[in-house]
Amino acid sequence: MKTGFSVFVAAFVAFGASWLGLVYGPLKQLGVAKETTVLQLGDKWPVQRTGAATLGLQVYRGNGCAACHTEQVHQTGAANVISITDLGSHKSSDLKDFITSLMVVPELMNCSNAITGNLAGWNGELPKVLYCGAQDTVVSLLGDKLKAVGVKTEPRVIATGTDIARGWGTRQSVAADYLYDSPVQLGNLRAGPDLATIGIRAPDLNWQLQHLYAPRSVVKDSTMPAFRYLFTVQKIGTLPAPDALVLPKDFAPADGYEVVPTPAAKELAAYLVSLKNNAPLYEAPFTPITAAK
Amino acid sequence: MSDETKPCCSSGNGEPTATRSTAPMWIIVVTLVLLFTGGLFLDSHSGWFDKNVYAPYQSSAQLESFQPKSGAQAVLARGKSIYESVCGICHGSDGLGKPGQAPPLAGSEWVMAKGVKRLLHIPLAGVAGAIQVGGKDWNMNMAAMGAALSDDDLAAVLTYVRSSWGNKAGVVTGDDVKSVRAEIGKSPQPMSGDQMMKMPE
Amino acid sequence: MNPTENKTICSSEIDVSCRVPLLALFGGAALWLVLGLALGIAAMLSFHKPDMFADCPVLNYGHAQAAANDLLLYGFVIPAALGVILWIFARLSQSPLALPIVPVVAANLWHVGVLVGTISILLGYSTGHPWLEYPRGASVLLFTAFLLVAVSAVATMGFRLNRELYPSHWFLFAALLWFVWSYGTANLFLVCNHPPRGVVQAVIDWWLTNNLLFVWLALAGVGIAFYFLPKIAGKPLASSGYALFGFFTLVFFGAWVGIPSGAPVPAWLPTVSAFAALLSIIPVFALGIIARKTVWGANVTCFGGPFCFIRFGMLSFVAANLLYLGEFCPRASRVLDFTWFNVGVTQWQLLGFAGMILCGAIYEILPRVMNKELPFTKLAKLNFFLFAGGTLLFVIPLLIGGVEQGMKLRDAAVPFADASAVALKFLRISTTGQLLVLLGALCLLLNILVMTIQWKLGLVKCVIAAVTAPLKTSEVKS
Repeated sequence: MKTGFSVFVAAFVAFGASWLGLVYGPLKQLGVAKETTVLQLGDKWPVQRTGAATLGLQVYRGNGCAACHTEQVHQTGAANVISITDLGSHKSSDLKDFITSLMVVPELMNCSNAITGNLAGWNGELPKVLYCGAQDTVVSLLGDKLKAVGVKTEPRVIATGTDIARGWGTRQSVAADYLYDSPVQLGNLRAGPDLATIGIRAPDLNWQLQHLYAPRSVVKDSTMPAFRYLFTVQKIGTLPAPDALVLPKDFAPADGYEVVPTPAAKELAAYLVSLKNNAPLYEAPFTPITAAK
Repeated sequence: MSDETKPCCSSGNGEPTATRSTAPMWIIVVTLVLLFTGGLFLDSHSGWFDKNVYAPYQSSAQLESFQPKSGAQAVLARGKSIYESVCGICHGSDGLGKPGQAPPLAGSEWVMAKGVKRLLHIPLAGVAGAIQVGGKDWNMNMAAMGAALSDDDLAAVLTYVRSSWGNKAGVVTGDDVKSVRAEIGKSPQPMSGDQMMKMPE
Repeated sequence: MNPTENKTICSSEIDVSCRVPLLALFGGAALWLVLGLALGIAAMLSFHKPDMFADCPVLNYGHAQAAANDLLLYGFVIPAALGVILWIFARLSQSPLALPIVPVVAANLWHVGVLVGTISILLGYSTGHPWLEYPRGASVLLFTAFLLVAVSAVATMGFRLNRELYPSHWFLFAALLWFVWSYGTANLFLVCNHPPRGVVQAVIDWWLTNNLLFVWLALAGVGIAFYFLPKIAGKPLASSGYALFGFFTLVFFGAWVGIPSGAPVPAWLPTVSAFAALLSIIPVFALGIIARKTVWGANVTCFGGPFCFIRFGMLSFVAANLLYLGEFCPRASRVLDFTWFNVGVTQWQLLGFAGMILCGAIYEILPRVMNKELPFTKLAKLNFFLFAGGTLLFVIPLLIGGVEQGMKLRDAAVPFADASAVALKFLRISTTGQLLVLLGALCLLLNILVMTIQWKLGLVKCVIAAVTAPLKTSEVKS
């Protein structure tokens, strides 16, 4: 290119295209998003946070928690499955043999590895999910055969993936989950576990506060730094403070002193407890276990 | 390079220049190949810019197929997929049939009848001889295409047929299929239209 | 060497015109580099001894790491690059720097902005967007300062005697335009106004991060390398047509990379980024090949001199960016997502590629601009080995540790604590590497500082001599 003007035009067009595609496009598609509804129940999603939790998001941001924690669950697949909900008059061991014997039916032969894997180690707990990776018809055929011998099953859709298998969520995070977050704290390093559903895994405010003050007192090999500056160690007055932390001996302060959370700590704990991205949505469907029939 | 620090300039200004050759052909070819491959990837994984399609779902149709279904919808979905693999080849996935091959099911009085026994006879026993559908005569033989299906599967197919393409008729249950099967017995005889009209609906 | 144009302006005159702006930019850059590396080490200490900063919020990981990252990019890389760009434009234009007071003012604004931004982050006022943590006041200062420098640079380019542009012009001019546009947009949407709702904030942030760490660094670094390599090799740049191809593919494809695979956004966004990442491999290779061809067969050796820096930088350009682009492949991202791998790649891009090229450029430029040899040439050579060895020791354990962590994270049967713990031993080696890089940065800072002091002392001596007996003037070296 010979002139400054031609360089300018080339760069302008290239960068403009990127701006249109990755800034303007998403702004038009996602930036005007409204609330959505939970599948089959119709409740609004996302759920508005309480005041303390909203302030807690700012504490989370200010302390750089997103440097070590993510708030996004990923899923790598979805499957139509059946879930055994009632064994009828059978014992689980008999049922295991029966199901294994069904694997010779032509339509189910491809599933024998998957289903044998599902059944390994099953000792009768319900509901028990059986899946073979895909089709409605295959799975419902199995369901019919079980129904014919008196076992109750229901069809379900589940999300599959490592994060789901670790119990970090029941389905992947989608844009609708972050509608009320400002700033959105997705995170990009998992030095600590994902927090998208931490409000379900650890719903107790006191557990959260104790974990913030002394992580190694609740999670044995944690590498999380202690956030003692979010708490005040004060002398116990005539009565202990109502929100003083109950700590194990190794982590408790000296005799006569108690650990009291500051408002920032309480807000942060409220925020963490409000993280419950688990409702089924149209764009992230799954059948919850206690789905309404 | 040592010219640079002399106080005043000798020949050559020491600034770099570039030769005028162009990019080699191979890299342009590689770029085109990558553009094509990438385009295929874009086609299959982008969900065509639908705001509801998130990876790993690859299209809105696929997302739709994974929506948890209520009981009635599940039956219809199952019926549809079996219909398409068993019946649709001749009767068409639009239910309009093919001349010289199979009569239409859309608007067919056999399908829309209130009772289901006569209807069930057709897939369970087959048709031999003339049958009148929608005022036209059809003289093709039909094998008992539904005999191999399970009760529930056949019920799902017929429920689907009875509620698609404008048809509005009631569901067929697995029990209905079971009872007609029992009546027909082990070696069902395919009948003609007139013979079937003599049966109760 | 080339046929002369109608030259009435000497190189040394051009260099002198750049002196004050460059000192202002380089001096601050070196200082921020040292501070940024030190904060980065402090941040990593939280992993080696988790309770170290339990009572001290300022230095805990969340604050220190964000501040360190921004200091590396905004404190060191960008001002240093701006200084080099100004000098290159002046030299290529064969005319002194246009409006020289403007970059001096801008440099001071910039450094104030970085200071304000860093303090804000450490005190807990970060915006929460990675690589965009400086709050509104600081980012406005940075934007204004950059705009001012860009004006001076473009004016200098406009005054060029030889109207034909050299490839470095394209890259560096595009870099000037792109920072203003992308940084301005991102701040406008995320920091300055009421931000848009929801996950689109993350999309804009990812877009900016890619455009700074991949596209901008590539434009600036390669533009600078393409200026120095032909001079050092004594040969012309391998091919301007090839460079044009590399430029176009970089700007057209590179700017679309950035949305990570699996992100909570509709599938088209990560897919488009993956497509762009596949295609961006082309410019990475092409530009690397051009650099290689330019020095191939030339009689250059490196004894820790500027050529060493630039060569290491270009090798890092290819290696680090290939790994960066590889992260967008959906299969690779399932293992590499959320691990230390991404941290390692980013630091390789910043320190191994941009940092090295800029350091080499600074060591080439400073003696010319100050009209004086470097005060500590041995330290400058040591600087190379400390940077090279330190960067590899810093980055490679992070990459390997990240892959190991990712493999364990992928297996749901492995408890999370084990997956996390596997990276810790790699982090220890990595922090040692950071220390080496810090020592190297101190060498750079020392050189620049002493040069500045010597120059200022010289000025003072001049003033004193002028004020005292006229006889003394001839004995005073200025």
